[in-house]
Amino acid sequence: MNSPAAPTISEEEFQKFRDFFYRKTGIYFEENKRYFVDKRLIERIKATDNETFRNYFVMLRFETSGKELQQLINLMTVNETYFFREEYQFTCLVKSVLADILPRKRCGEPIRIWSIPSSSGEEPYSLAIYLLEYWPQVNAYDIELIASDIDTEILKKARQGRYDQRSISHLPAHLLHKHFTTTANGAYQISDDLRNSIDFTQVNITDLNQMRIYRNFDVVFCRNLLIYFDDTSRRIAAEALFNALRPGGFICLGHSESMSRITPLFKIRKFPEAIIYQKPLR
Amino acid sequence: MSLIKKSQDISPPVLEENRRTPRDRAGLLSQLENDAPDIRRWAALDLVEFPDTAEVLCAQLAQETQTPVREALLTTLIKIGNPIVVNRLIPLLRSEDAALRNLVIEALQQLPEAVAPHMKEMLRDPDADYRIFSINVLDNLKHPQAPAWLQEVVEKDDNINVCAAAVEVLAEVGSAEVIPALSTLPERFDNDPFMEFCVQTAIRRIQGNGNRI
Amino acid sequence: MKRVLVIDDATTVRMYYRQVLEAQGFAVEEAANGYEGLEKALMESFDLYIVDINMPKMDGYTLLRSIRQEPAICATPAIMISTEGQVQDANAAYAAGANLYFNKPVKPDVLALTVRMLTGEKPT
Repeated sequence: MNSPAAPTISEEEFQKFRDFFYRKTGIYFEENKRYFVDKRLIERIKATDNETFRNYFVMLRFETSGKELQQLINLMTVNETYFFREEYQFTCLVKSVLADILPRKRCGEPIRIWSIPSSSGEEPYSLAIYLLEYWPQVNAYDIELIASDIDTEILKKARQGRYDQRSISHLPAHLLHKHFTTTANGAYQISDDLRNSIDFTQVNITDLNQMRIYRNFDVVFCRNLLIYFDDTSRRIAAEALFNALRPGGFICLGHSESMSRITPLFKIRKFPEAIIYQKPLR
Repeated sequence: MSLIKKSQDISPPVLEENRRTPRDRAGLLSQLENDAPDIRRWAALDLVEFPDTAEVLCAQLAQETQTPVREALLTTLIKIGNPIVVNRLIPLLRSEDAALRNLVIEALQQLPEAVAPHMKEMLRDPDADYRIFSINVLDNLKHPQAPAWLQEVVEKDDNINVCAAAVEVLAEVGSAEVIPALSTLPERFDNDPFMEFCVQTAIRRIQGNGNRI
Repeated sequence: MKRVLVIDDATTVRMYYRQVLEAQGFAVEEAANGYEGLEKALMESFDLYIVDINMPKMDGYTLLRSIRQEPAICATPAIMISTEGQVQDANAAYAAGANLYFNKPVKPDVLALTVRMLTGEKPT
């Protein structure tokens, strides 16, 4: 019997990987994440038929396609979506960001908010609910909510607005009762009013021509998307987001993401609730 | 109703253009010289459709002062990514403008195949700062020759900061063959504590010990 | 405990400063480019910045100019340390807002003493 021994990761190798991953993604693993990181690294070392960390790391570092790095980022980050995920950013929107934008609005001009990627709709619907429930001036302004994704199947799901228990578990009960009905098979169906308040569209953020029509947004939520791109696509996407915003418009990234690895195009704005990026007013 | 749906508003003709000239090659090239940064920036992005404008784009990058326009030029140049781009970008590593130099480094890192034929010469340049910037290009370059180029630097270069920059990258990409060359460095530089630290760190990282048990 | 933010794209350089300064009782945070440095400087409070010149996304000069324009952090001292050894480099560092300029590599005792002086730590 000669089953190969499992690869192991030494302290030095962990640090080498951690520094590389930090440079590529901006995500820094403290020592207490050692077990979490090792386990996933070993999983990928085996899956790629490498026998040692050393061989695997050479492949990871020099692979032109960057595919393995993306696999690893998928494993190292939790990519799930649910209602009110990273709620502090919605709080920041209604408490600070909108107040910053309003003085620049002409009378009757709508506030435009974009959610990309919309995925199955949890984020744009959360935005709609949050604005209706927690922004006192919501009735004084017209608000356009646009939600986009590259995946037409997931957009169908988003338009339909039907969710399972896991998706709605962070929603306060009274909001669940107010905006959803329970279906016969125990799913939660979001109200038609909310479904009709959002435009769902299909777009590829790295396609300059497709992106031309996405302009004049005041706020963009682009959470946990850029981190999955390679360096060049990330740069192209950042340009596209810059194009999509009005001067002075804001962009929210996921909590483990930072513009500092992507582009210096945006200003860093510190609000009490969060750090958010702003297209310069000039 | 406060939340309003306006599907018809997001169709192309309504939102798109406040552009006066069409997106043809000549029009875009003239917009690249416009006084308004926003128009220059859009021209830079749209010129990606015309890779034969690489030289003009590089010339514009060298004189452009506005960060958003520079970034757009760089995005387009990386996408074009041909040998002409690399030939025109490399001399900009000598610019006095630190921000420009670092943009150029970033672009070259994305173009390993086109950069490779120049690298040996870059690493032998008489200007130590230029050699350091060349090593910075290697820092993120996906080219299998990178460790060998760096080893030559460590063996032959007599500038402490150039060697330290090479050691920094070797800590990530080096393999056991480079350890003898690394070990001679502290002595070559009067046992400078910083160099000692770099070499020790690199050797530890190269050795690791995560082989099979 | 006095806090120092080290902003340099070279991992070994950050590790080296960390080792020297932690041995002197300073708490050290790191950032790998100027833009990340600015982000961290705005989020947390520091007693000193150590800044490299050549970094991706935002160079050290641009970072220092940005810091000097932010009311909350503009008075925090900054040392610029870089490989470029010309007089004009020191002048440019000073013009951008550095309190001191060093050429790399810096001897550990010089670094430690300078950081103590600029942060107002008592002499040992």
